Amino acid sequence: MPEGKFCNKKPIDTAEGINELLSDTSGNNYYQEMKELDIDSDLLWKTIQNTCKSRTKTWLEICAHCGMCAESCFLYQVNGRDPKQVPAYKIQSTLGEIIKRKGKVDNQFMRDTMETAWSKCTCCNRCGTYCPHGIDTGIMFSYLRGLLYQQGFVPWELKIGAGMHRVYRAQMDVTDEDFVDTFEWMVEEYEDDYPGLTVPVDVENADIMYTVNAREVKHYPEDLAEAAILFHMAGENWTVPSKGWEQTSLAMFAGDWAACKMQVESVYEAMERLKPARMIGTECGHAHRATVIEGPYWAGRKNGQPPAESIHYVEWLAEALNTGKLKIDPSKRIKELVTLQDSCNYIRNHGLKKATRDIIKHIVEPGYFVEMSPNKEHNYCCGGGGGFNGIGLFRKQRNIALLTKRDQILATGAKLVLAPCHNCWDAIRDLEEEYEIGIRWSFLKPIVIKMLVIPEHLKPEE
Amino acid sequence: MFKKILFATSATQASDHAARVAFNIAKNYQSSLNIFHVMGVPTRGYSQVVIDVKTKEEVAVDEDYTAWVTEEVRTYYEKHLDGSFEHTIDVAVGFPAREILRQAKTIKPDLILIGGSTGDEDESVYKKNSAGSTLQKVAKAAKCPVLVVNRPAASFWGGLSNIVFGTDFSKTSDKAFDFAMKVAKALDCEVNVFHAIDITPLHTGKILTQDEIEQQIRESLRKIRARYEPRLKELKAYSMDVAEGIPYMEIVKYARDNMADLIIMAHHSRKVVSDDTRLGGNVEQVIVRAGCPVISINK
Ligand code: SF4
Ligand code: SF4
Ligand code: SF4
Repeated sequence: MPEGKFCNKKPIDTAEGINELLSDTSGNNYYQEMKELDIDSDLLWKTIQNTCKSRTKTWLEICAHCGMCAESCFLYQVNGRDPKQVPAYKIQSTLGEIIKRKGKVDNQFMRDTMETAWSKCTCCNRCGTYCPHGIDTGIMFSYLRGLLYQQGFVPWELKIGAGMHRVYRAQMDVTDEDFVDTFEWMVEEYEDDYPGLTVPVDVENADIMYTVNAREVKHYPEDLAEAAILFHMAGENWTVPSKGWEQTSLAMFAGDWAACKMQVESVYEAMERLKPARMIGTECGHAHRATVIEGPYWAGRKNGQPPAESIHYVEWLAEALNTGKLKIDPSKRIKELVTLQDSCNYIRNHGLKKATRDIIKHIVEPGYFVEMSPNKEHNYCCGGGGGFNGIGLFRKQRNIALLTKRDQILATGAKLVLAPCHNCWDAIRDLEEEYEIGIRWSFLKPIVIKMLVIPEHLKPEE
Repeated sequence: MFKKILFATSATQASDHAARVAFNIAKNYQSSLNIFHVMGVPTRGYSQVVIDVKTKEEVAVDEDYTAWVTEEVRTYYEKHLDGSFEHTIDVAVGFPAREILRQAKTIKPDLILIGGSTGDEDESVYKKNSAGSTLQKVAKAAKCPVLVVNRPAASFWGGLSNIVFGTDFSKTSDKAFDFAMKVAKALDCEVNVFHAIDITPLHTGKILTQDEIEQQIRESLRKIRARYEPRLKELKAYSMDVAEGIPYMEIVKYARDNMADLIIMAHHSRKVVSDDTRLGGNVEQVIVRAGCPVISINK
C-alpha cells in the first residue's frame, strides 16, 4: 500500500480532511500506514537539487566531526551522552545520508529519520553557536523536516496542524468571525473593571497591529482581554485585523513550506491593508520566528523584512515600562525568588535578552530575580520546542527532554518561573506535572496587570 | 420563572447537591435543563491531548470520546431524567469557568446552576494556573443569576418559603433585590432583607465604639426601609434586619437562624478575583459557608 488513507504525501486542504485525520485517534492507523508508505526518490532528489542551499551542503561537507557541538545539545546531555545524540551525528546520519544516496532511501530509513528530526532536535539552534565552523544543525533540521513532510513522513499532530493553517489560516479551527467575536466578548466581560476598554478591529494606520495565537482564542481568551487592557492602560492606538490575526505557524514545525508561506502571507496582507506603524505579536516564541524572522523569506520579500516593522511582545512591554506609558506600583512587585525562561526563538535567535531583563527590573523587587544557568542566548531549550511538546508518539522522549529545564529551575531555588512563550509555558507546566517540583509559572501579561498603577481617568467609578 | 437553566456539573458526587436542586427546579417549573460538563483541560501548546478532569489521565479527544463522555453523564443522571422535563446534554473541552461562560453566551439561560466544586476540587496543576475558582469566575462574569449549591440544601427548590436578601445598598444590590422580589412572588415566599455592618478594623480603620455601631445600625435600618419597604409590602411576609460583625459570617448566621432556604446577594465584579477561595469576596465566603443555596447576581 503506497499511499494510505490517513498517511500519504498529500497535504490536507479541507475541513473534512482535518476531521477525518482527527478521527483516527492518536494517529494509530496513520502510523500503521506509514510503515507501507513509498518514497518518491526522484522527487526527493529533485527537490534537494532545487532547494538545498549551498550553505547547507557546505556545512555537511566541512563538518570536522570534532564533536565540540555535543555538549552544547541538551538532548545529548540528558540522554546519557549517547553518541547518537551528537548534533553532527544526528544531521549527518539523516540529511547527510539522503543527499549522499541521492534520495534513494527506504521506508525504515525515513521513519527513523522522522524520529530523529522531531524527537532528537527541537531546532533550538544552541549547537550552532558552539560549533567552531558556525554549522547550525537546527537550521538543517528545519530543512530536513520539509523533505520529510513532502514524502508524508511527519508526526500525525503536525500533519493536522499544517492542515489547519491551510484551511483556517490558523493553527486551530478558529474562523475569522470566531476571532473577532471572542475578542469582543472578552472586552465586554472586562469593560466594567476597565472603563473604555475596546477592541478596535480593522483600523487603518494605527500605531500597533496586534496578532495572536489561535489557542488564545479557542481556549484562553483571557489572554486577549489582558492584551487589550495593557494597550488601553498604555494609551496605545492599536487594532487587530479581522483577517490575518494568527501569528503562529505549526506549518513551520511540520516542514510544510507551502503552508508556511500561505500563513505568513495572510498576516502580511493584513499589514498591507491596515498599514500599521508596527506589528506586535503575543507572548509566543515560535510565532515570532515564523512571522518576523523566517516569514519574509517564505513570502519572498526582497528586503527580508515584514511589510511593517514587527516586534515581539516583550519589546513593546519593555518600551512601555521604560517610557512610563505603563507604571508599576513598586509595592506590588514580585517579592519572591523568581526566574525567567529565555525562549530560544526570540532570545538566542533574535537577541531580545535586554527587553526581558528590562521588564524584570520593573516588575521584580531588586534582589529577587535569579538567572538560570546558563541563560540569555546560552539558555537551554525548554525541552518541548520545535513541535516536540505536542507529538504523542514522542511523549516519552519529550518527558526526558524536560529534565534539563527542571534541573535548571531547581538550581535557581525559585518557585515562580516567568515564561513569555506559549510553548515554553506548556513545557514548564508539563514538567511540573511530570516531576512535581512545586513551581508556578506565568506569562507576563497577568503579572503586569496585577501591579499596574491605573491612571486616574481610567479607573472604574464606584 | 426559569425557562432555560444551564446546569454546570462535574457529573460526580461533588455536584450531587446541585444536581438535586437542578432537577427539582426543572420539574417544578418545566424549565429546559442543559446539563453541561467540561470533560478535559487542553494544553497551551498545540497537542490534541487533554487532561480528563475526572481521571486526570491524558486522553485524546475525538468524536468517539466525546460521545462516550456524553453517555457517561447521561448514565450518571439516568434516574432523574424521567421525561418530566426537557433536557439536553453538552460536553466541552477547556477551562471549566471559561467554557461555562461560553456555553451561557451561546444558549442564554435564565439561570446558571453550579455545584460548589465543578471540576476543580483537587489541587491539579491546572488549578494552580487558573486564577480563582470556577465558581468565582462564573459568578463574576455571568450575565444571569448564578445559583450555587455548595452544601446539602436543607430544603429544595419548590419547597422554598424563606429568602434572605443580603444588601450593601449598591446598584447591583438593587438588581439582586428585583430578582429576590420576582422569585418571592412567583413562589409565594417571605423575604428577609439583611444588611451587615462591617466592623472589622481592616475595613473601618479603627475600633468602633458601641455608640458608633448603634448609630450605624439605626441608619442602615432607615436606609433599608426607604429603599425596599415600599415594594416589600407587595409580599405577604417580610422582615428587615441589621447586624454588625464580619459581613459574610453575619449573613450565614442570620440565614441559619431564620431557617432560610435561599440567600440572594449581589456579586461585585470590581473585587479582584483572588487565587484563593478563602480570600474571595463576601459572596464567595457566603457560598462556601451557607447551609442553603446562594444566588449571586452580577448584572
Ligand atoms: S562542532 Fe561543528 S564541526 Fe564539530 S562536529 Fe559539531 S557540527 Fe561538526
Ligand atoms: S538545534 Fe538544539 S536540539 Fe537540535 S541538535 Fe542543536 S542543540 Fe540539539
Ligand atoms: S519552546 Fe521556547 S525554549 Fe523551547 S524551543 Fe521554543 S522558544 Fe525555545
